[in-house]
Amino acid sequence: MDIQSYIASGKLELFLLGELTEREREEVLALAKTYPEIQKELDELEEAMFYFDNLTGPEPSPQVKEKIFANLEADFKKEEPLKAAPVTPKETQVVPLSPWKKFAVAASLVALLASAAAIYFAGKYYDTDQKFTALLLDQQVMADNLNQVKLQYEETDSRLDRLVSGDFKRVEMKGTGFEMQKDAKVDVFWDQKAQEVFVAVNNLNSLDAESDYQLWAIGKDGPVGIGLVNPGEKFTLQQMQAVAEAGAFAITIEPKGGSKAPTLEKLVVLGEVA
Amino acid sequence: MQEEQLIEGLRARDRKTTEYLYEKYSRALFAVIARIVSDKDIAEEVFHDAFIKITKKIDSYEESKGRLYTWMANICRNSAIDKLRSKEISQSGKTNGIDDFVYGLESQSGTMEQVEAIGVKELINNLNEDQRFIIDHIYFKGYTHSEVSEEFDIPLGTVKSRVRAALQVLKKNLHRI
Repeated sequence: MDIQSYIASGKLELFLLGELTEREREEVLALAKTYPEIQKELDELEEAMFYFDNLTGPEPSPQVKEKIFANLEADFKKEEPLKAAPVTPKETQVVPLSPWKKFAVAASLVALLASAAAIYFAGKYYDTDQKFTALLLDQQVMADNLNQVKLQYEETDSRLDRLVSGDFKRVEMKGTGFEMQKDAKVDVFWDQKAQEVFVAVNNLNSLDAESDYQLWAIGKDGPVGIGLVNPGEKFTLQQMQAVAEAGAFAITIEPKGGSKAPTLEKLVVLGEVA
Repeated sequence: MQEEQLIEGLRARDRKTTEYLYEKYSRALFAVIARIVSDKDIAEEVFHDAFIKITKKIDSYEESKGRLYTWMANICRNSAIDKLRSKEISQSGKTNGIDDFVYGLESQSGTMEQVEAIGVKELINNLNEDQRFIIDHIYFKGYTHSEVSEEFDIPLGTVKSRVRAALQVLKKNLHRI
């Protein structure tokens, strides 16, 4: 046998890393016994691994040591000198086996092997089962996402349908005339017959947590609050409350939740219905 | 202390031997875990459990199946990988590999540790790109060689020979630091 190429195969390293099967382990051990070169290589590699490990680590904290020895306390022999521990194994009594006992032994060996196989395959099954469960979970998440996207799409689609089929007037509201936000721009889409109002934010600064933007329809009876506008949802249609009559639309900043009457000092945008 | 004596003492549940084991190996074994689990508290918790496991399972350790350090390091490595894959630990608890690690070492205070960290950095710098990748994934990220092969589409034989090459480089350069 070519010992050098066996050593070069990388098997010894995997042996030390604990990554060989039981059969391969046996093979390495048997060969190490037969060939001193292999044993020597194993010893050197183990030593190298130990030195490497010893160099690379920080020490575990002293509390860990305390905890370990506190846990082991009950196990330690009480003050008994080491030499007193008997190391010679006790004589085992030899009992001759009658033939049926041999069969019994054989039968129990078979049973043992069968159990070992059962445990092995149970382990395999468990692994596969876990992978399968993980896949199912992934699939569930994907289905949920898809449903969400579908819902969003349907919502957008129905808004678009209404926008296209209805008789919507576009009212541009701008911030140019006011001190609050000169570059603010929000469009109102208003179907007077169907009394439907949407807003689409084009540019609007975000607010602190205590304030809201409120949309007002200004008609003959003065301004009527018709809903809060979310500045974060840009270029999407936000539906507001129904309005039958308005000459202009405006947005003001109000305390969280909106007000009954607009705070005119905080008028952000205004647009007249053409 | 010779390895046989050490094992004998551990089996006899001798306190002094256990302390000796801790002094000699705790740093290296903790490193095996801390490489994979970056959160120090979680790493210490894993180390605590693994060390106790080692002292309890010492009766089932067979000298003929490999040296003591390998056996202990494997227990620690497997505990760390188990922890990493358990649901308790979030992605953020995972190390990002060699670079974070070397950086982490550099940022540590204490002259002794700094000197050693420089050595480790040099050691790692001796590796070529392929070897670095392998060490990064197997040593620092807790991959097994077959996982590296599958995930990065590198033939298993190539992974094996790169593990070998990388450890050879580390082995050769260890005496220099």
